[in-house]
Amino acid sequence: MNKLTQRIDKERLLLGIAAPLLAIVAALVVTALVILATGKNPGSAFSDMVTYGSASDSQVYILNKATTYYLAGVSVAIGFRMNLFNIGVDGQYRIAAFFAAVLGGALTTPGWISIPLIILCAMATGALWAAIAGVLKVTRGVSEVISTIMLNSIATAIIAYLLQPGKLAELQSGGTVISTKPLPSSSYFFQINTGAAGELWGFIVIAVVVGVAYWFVLGRTRFGFDLRTVGQSESAAMASGVSVKKMIATSMVISGAVAGLIGMPTLLNDSHQFSNDFPTGIGFTGIAIALLGRNNPVGIALGALLWGFLERTTNHLEFEGYDKEILGVIQGVIVLCVVIAYELVGRYGLRRQQQRVGAELAAQAATTQKQEVA
Amino acid sequence: MRRVAKLSAACIATAALALTATACGSTSSQNDSSSSASSGGGKGIKIGLAYDVGGRGDRSFNDSAARGADKAVKEFNGSIKELTAKPSDTEADREQRLTDLASAGYNPIVAVGFSYAASVDKVAKQFPKVNFGLIDSVATSPNVDSITFTEEQGSYLAGVAAALKTKKDHVGFIGGVDVPLIKKFEAGYVQGVHDTNAKVKVDVQYLTHGSDTSGFSSPDKGKAAAQGMLDNGADVIYSAAGSSGNGSIEAVHGAKGAWAIGVDSDQYNIPGLAAYKSSILTSMVKNVDVGVYDFIKSVHDGKPLTGNQVYSLAKNGVGLATSGGFIDDIKAQLDAAKKKIVDGTVKVKTAP
Amino acid sequence: MANKDIDITVRTGTVHALCGENGAGKSTLMKILYGMQQPDEGTITVNGETVTFHNPADAIARGIGMVHQHFMLADNLTVLENVVLGAEKLYGIGAKARTKIKEISDAYGLNVRPDVLLEELGVADRQRVEILKVLYRGAKTLILDEPTAVLVPQEVDALFDNLRELKAEGLTVIFISHKLGEVLSVADEITVIRRGTTVGTVEPAGTTPKQLAELMVGSELPTPETQESTVTDVPLLKIDGLHLSQTDLDGVERVILDAISFTIHKGEVLGIAGVEGNGQSELVEAIMGIRDPDAGVITLDGTDISHAPTRNRREAGVGYIPEDRHRHGLLLEAPLWENRILGHVTEKPNSRGQLLDIKAARTDTERIIQAYDVRTPGIDVTAASLSGGNQQKLIVGREMSHAPKLLIAAHPTRGVDVGAQAAIWDHIREARREGLAVLLISADLDELIGLSDTLRVMYRGRLVADADPATITPEELGSAMTGAAAGHLEHTEDSAEDHEDDAR
Repeated sequence: MNKLTQRIDKERLLLGIAAPLLAIVAALVVTALVILATGKNPGSAFSDMVTYGSASDSQVYILNKATTYYLAGVSVAIGFRMNLFNIGVDGQYRIAAFFAAVLGGALTTPGWISIPLIILCAMATGALWAAIAGVLKVTRGVSEVISTIMLNSIATAIIAYLLQPGKLAELQSGGTVISTKPLPSSSYFFQINTGAAGELWGFIVIAVVVGVAYWFVLGRTRFGFDLRTVGQSESAAMASGVSVKKMIATSMVISGAVAGLIGMPTLLNDSHQFSNDFPTGIGFTGIAIALLGRNNPVGIALGALLWGFLERTTNHLEFEGYDKEILGVIQGVIVLCVVIAYELVGRYGLRRQQQRVGAELAAQAATTQKQEVA
Repeated sequence: MRRVAKLSAACIATAALALTATACGSTSSQNDSSSSASSGGGKGIKIGLAYDVGGRGDRSFNDSAARGADKAVKEFNGSIKELTAKPSDTEADREQRLTDLASAGYNPIVAVGFSYAASVDKVAKQFPKVNFGLIDSVATSPNVDSITFTEEQGSYLAGVAAALKTKKDHVGFIGGVDVPLIKKFEAGYVQGVHDTNAKVKVDVQYLTHGSDTSGFSSPDKGKAAAQGMLDNGADVIYSAAGSSGNGSIEAVHGAKGAWAIGVDSDQYNIPGLAAYKSSILTSMVKNVDVGVYDFIKSVHDGKPLTGNQVYSLAKNGVGLATSGGFIDDIKAQLDAAKKKIVDGTVKVKTAP
Repeated sequence: MANKDIDITVRTGTVHALCGENGAGKSTLMKILYGMQQPDEGTITVNGETVTFHNPADAIARGIGMVHQHFMLADNLTVLENVVLGAEKLYGIGAKARTKIKEISDAYGLNVRPDVLLEELGVADRQRVEILKVLYRGAKTLILDEPTAVLVPQEVDALFDNLRELKAEGLTVIFISHKLGEVLSVADEITVIRRGTTVGTVEPAGTTPKQLAELMVGSELPTPETQESTVTDVPLLKIDGLHLSQTDLDGVERVILDAISFTIHKGEVLGIAGVEGNGQSELVEAIMGIRDPDAGVITLDGTDISHAPTRNRREAGVGYIPEDRHRHGLLLEAPLWENRILGHVTEKPNSRGQLLDIKAARTDTERIIQAYDVRTPGIDVTAASLSGGNQQKLIVGREMSHAPKLLIAAHPTRGVDVGAQAAIWDHIREARREGLAVLLISADLDELIGLSDTLRVMYRGRLVADADPATITPEELGSAMTGAAAGHLEHTEDSAEDHEDDAR
């Protein structure tokens, strides 16, 4: 009996790995075909991606990017675990980063006070912004997909309104870049100097902490169990005593708070100000990464690293004369393949498990019968 | 068993992370310099061009820069490497683009667009022997030539033309993104209109806001905005919106008696817009090509330009295109207005 | 669940019953026969011709039709429209179709009126519409999946008359059921399936229910009778004037529960009889706190819990065996040990403080699997991969493991094999001896009468009748369930029919 449990478990692990692997291989094949269609050699493209992507400065770039993407993936995954589609991560992190940057620019306190304050401000802003969608869903039944899409636009408009000279922003030298007041250098987050390869952002530590917390809260606490229950079956959750509405509102708030962190690596480690060229659209990248990582903390990390690797190397593919649209093709194909592969592997896994349970029970029955005869 | 599996998965992941975190091996530029040494790279000047969102073929700002580089290549017999920005770019992507060019031996490198300001400054410090050109913004490094234009002055003239040509006393302005640079266009245009005829109403619309830069590369948004203004009664529309302006010109062409004013390049002569050229009144030409050419030439001549080169109306850095001859009848008024700006009688505002 | 070595031969013009404990593979077999699933091996032969069914349409083309356990009918359409829906090509949608329906109805004595709205029909009528629907599509062989589960005894008799009529006209009926008495009374031949394999085919004549049951499980037939009364006079659950109404989409207020009052004492089993859909589910949900009553008081062990959250009620000692285990009792995609935590996450051994105690929960899951004979290769398989009966045993084990004061058991042995049924009854009886109060809701009248200390009948949201389980017969209970009798049901020596007439 024990042995069978092991077998099923090992199989589950294998199946878990098989899905993303299948997706990536399929994506590679499709990409190769696309490159072939443009009249270039896919082999040299892939080998260039590997060489370039494994260079030390590329590694630093990938880790820095992955830090941001990981936070985005976790934020989206919290919603996914609840069957909530938080499309609003994008708006949440931008408005959070904006207000955190405004606060950070205004603070004159020492770093050990300022940095936590800035991070808390970002989390609170993100949480509040997400809470609007949560409250609307719970009290009025408004689909969170619709409300968060709208809130994204509203966030863009609010930032555009406040990011004006004379409001909460100032014009930088040259008269073309407009930004919030830059953070004092005491409020910069620590960085790890890797020499010629560049600076590794210290915020990666926070991302790891968030990942561990995500794993622990979901897998090891009562709260996490309730949250997963609602995600798996709302009716069963209700019957088991979980207040579904409260859970929806709470998890939306938590998702928003993590979303608030997404802009922090950029703000505290890189730009040190919120300007009109602050990166956008990372919330949507987060959706892809959460899908890719199957809402699993380690999976999301691998997804984030893969995403960073692809961006780094396809940027360079353009330099090598390949079409720059290749990146979009690879990313799109991977997400599509992942969804299909998970569905296929999931169904196959369930069928196999049922067969195995059936076979095991039949074998058990056979032995008992034999014993009875004996 | 389950736990062991999870634990080992976690261990592998951590190990993998640690392996990457040590940033082992050489940097990509070291890899590249070895490979580019063998590939040679040809003779003559090697120009690196990092475009803004839209890239070559936006029939506007980026194309204008491309023309300058093309002209230089023809004259000095060299080669061009072009890279283009994405709307989702971060600072790191822009730095990567410039670093890739610099480490592959391209010199000079022209960064087209103000969003490169910070990254040019940073990369220029890493490659002090490479000459960088930065369009539309100002950087401080000694090896950077900051090329800026007085868009507000050219836009003022566009405003004068619009006020004289409108029959309904109603004109429009479409900006790509409400960034300070585009606000210069708006300020000059509105001032030009009102100085000429205070009764003319000016509609102003920006396609996207703040950090959403897709307004520079969305012809559909430009078309919708222009259609809205036309429906609202405007009959001359000036678009400063990168390739989004193509959409707005298309919409204007569909309305009888309405005029479009192009931007950056002389859009009357852009092949892709030939179908609509009968509706393009004029274009506020921003001679980015001149700036780019001047810069490349200076590098080629061994006397690289540095500091801030301001291309003003007086220096013909900006102006109105006369292709099509639609503004020949108001040439006198336009010349008078230009004279006033050049001699300082009229000060054009840079912010609305 | 896997099926293997299934050999079954059904002769034309007979009623052939298929018996077996749940998880034995009956459903899978039916799905294969109806083209919803493809076999890995083996052949199906219809009228001497080997056939392959890729989908239900193939099966219908071969004259095989299925009457599902859960009716697939639209309430807001007429009978005619329901029958014609999806088969418009056969006889159109107008007069020709109506004639055909009347023709079939008369031929088999189905007594179906084509122009009545379906929502006006009762369960038995609806079932006849389903049968007609299948016949209309030209079926010569009918598969009926547990057709009696939703019927009261009188309706069962009527159904069996219909089946005999069909048989007389040369049609073939495959009849799936747990209820041995019914099987023996209607079938011409009975095939028993055990663990995915046919164990044998018997003739009803000369076979007793006991023999049949032993064939099914290989063990003795259990009886649900409770020997001695354990009822105390300490009230545990008191319901007073409970009222629940709901406004439907048309804005019409519908009363679901009205003036429900009863008391369950420690050590007492209160059984509620009633045809499904008369408010039993809603009553359970109101007691569990899933629905909030409009009026009335629910008192548990002296505390007013009328509007308390579900979790507080569960922590206060309410165990819950839900009617629909897939929707309310399990997380199908989660492993068994997580399902063991479900509903009791705040209680030991599942958690300590805010943290889950996974180790203790897993150990306890192993214990439940042993104690309740849940047949599974381990606790890491998903709940979905267990058969229905084993899922139910897990739920019962889980709910009984927290020493409940009150157990709300809705159909606790539905879909459970005979052996497990006895075990579940034993567990309930044992807990009852120690003072457990039980609210039992069941469609199995034998179970209700056998287990309950007190019986109530629910009809259209009200408790209309009460009865003494010691003397009442299923037939007498059945007439009250259809609304024909009310008040205190006294057992008379007259036949059930007479009793019904008196009540009218």
